[in-house]
Amino acid sequence: MLCSLAPILPHSLKKLLLTLPEDVQADLEEIRIREERPLEIGFGGAGFAFVTPQGDLAADAGQAYRPGREECRSLLELLTNHSVYTFEEELRRGYITIAGGHRVGLAGRTVLEQGGVKLIRDVGSFNIRLARELPGAARPVLPHLLDPAARSVHHTLIIAPPQAGKTTLLRDLVRLISRGEWPGQQAAGRASGFGGAEAGGAGASGGRAWSAMGGNAEAKAAGGEGGARYAGRISGLGGAAAHEGRSGAWSAGGPNGFGGEAARAPDWPARKVAVVDERSELAACVKGVPRFDLGPRTDVMDGCPKAEGMMMMIRSLSPDVLAVDEIGRREDAAAVQEAAHAGIRVIATAHGADAADVSRRPALRELLDEALFARIVVLERRREGRAPLRICDSAGRTLYAAEAPAAAGRGG
Amino acid sequence: MLKLIGAMLVVGAAALIGFTMALHYRRRPQQIRQLMHALQRLETEIAYGLTPLPEAFQSIARQIADPLAALFRRAAERLLAADGAPTRDIWSETVNEVWKRTSLGAPEREAVLQLGGVLGLSDRDDQIKHLRLAVGQLAAEEEQSREEHRRYGKMWKSLGVLIGALIVILMY
Repeated sequence: MLCSLAPILPHSLKKLLLTLPEDVQADLEEIRIREERPLEIGFGGAGFAFVTPQGDLAADAGQAYRPGREECRSLLELLTNHSVYTFEEELRRGYITIAGGHRVGLAGRTVLEQGGVKLIRDVGSFNIRLARELPGAARPVLPHLLDPAARSVHHTLIIAPPQAGKTTLLRDLVRLISRGEWPGQQAAGRASGFGGAEAGGAGASGGRAWSAMGGNAEAKAAGGEGGARYAGRISGLGGAAAHEGRSGAWSAGGPNGFGGEAARAPDWPARKVAVVDERSELAACVKGVPRFDLGPRTDVMDGCPKAEGMMMMIRSLSPDVLAVDEIGRREDAAAVQEAAHAGIRVIATAHGADAADVSRRPALRELLDEALFARIVVLERRREGRAPLRICDSAGRTLYAAEAPAAAGRGG
Repeated sequence: MLKLIGAMLVVGAAALIGFTMALHYRRRPQQIRQLMHALQRLETEIAYGLTPLPEAFQSIARQIADPLAALFRRAAERLLAADGAPTRDIWSETVNEVWKRTSLGAPEREAVLQLGGVLGLSDRDDQIKHLRLAVGQLAAEEEQSREEHRRYGKMWKSLGVLIGALIVILMY
């Protein structure tokens, strides 16, 4: 975990942190560096400890190593690629996102301009939050969010307290939807990889054709209806695919034995996903390019106010699914309604213990009263590495409850 | 005969020393001017281009002539190495290295070294202020070095030959 931080840590700190016990290094979540004050690390959920100059952990702040002024200055330098002036916007917002998706929160003396914070000048505290990707965190959840009628996902609200893995879950949902990895899809893909053209799913769901000759030439139809019609044109490479594609219904049974297996998994096209990432948490963009893998069909509006960002993306990027983290204000709710009524599926998250807790917030109550969210996922705080999980429908009926493996990493 | 050749060699060597000294006096204001231009370019890169320091250095290194180009080129290389060294150390190391190969003097070096402590470490306005200050200091030095060139440049040229002649006369 630490090696991805190596380019930004000054020599002395790097050496010190590398002497930490292996298991602590692997579980590291936060490194808190405060000028002339004890060096602190957070690891493995809620644990924290001070670090002594010998690289041991100590509960007593008195024994801890104290990073000096020079160290903090060179840390800031390395964080900003020796160019603090290129990070004025980040210094105004109070955090810097670095390569690898890690985020560094900053505190110090602020400079004001016309009553607002212009930037943080003398940075005295750094909080390096290590980002961890958990591909597959959303796999157990996604099957319960599918909406066969729209061949997409339901409007979904994810509710969880901070650090329960909300953002991680949303990120993985986005990735799966954007890749078109609907649950069961992978198995279907592997089966058909052997060759023999087949348009998976009979009739209504025929949207995908696998080329016999090309093997990897994959024709992906944009819409469900008439998918077979497009399949031949898009694939280009495999003549066989074109041929089979045209007679979609026939090939579902398949000239080979694998067709039937593929039909069981929802064989829907990948969806265009638009992500509004106000706090650079979901995608961890650096210069507009996501550092996390969010799938091939995802667009990210980075650092943009949620309500405004949602409207911009609805208007200009024609998303199928809109993902947004931590809605809560009235404008956010209005934008969610706007999107939902524009035929776009919305996946949002909100802070809270459960649906009742969330509905105490006026803006969100409106959305819940309207039963806009057809699926509500409630995560509870992690306990011993497990994240209890419950999925309800809009009326509050529990559809699924489980102890999912913890979606560790940065909480929202 | 041998004596005559020896005398000519002594005069030639002394003249060469004189000319080199004169050349230094001539080059110093030119290089100060170059350095000022480089810093002004850096100011533009920072103020309008918001270019990160390593890239700004690289583009400056392409635009000016050696030996000063080496200063920016090497500093950029070291900054990009990202091995945890602070800008100030990288800058002063590079300045001290390159300075030997230039005709620049100690006051200029002082002005440029001071810059190393702030380069890239503050917001845009602050960077611009510091760069302007350094350019101002260099401008004063340039004026003085021109004056020195006028005064000592010619003197060194003739002084070399004359000292050579003196030695020859004394030894002959």
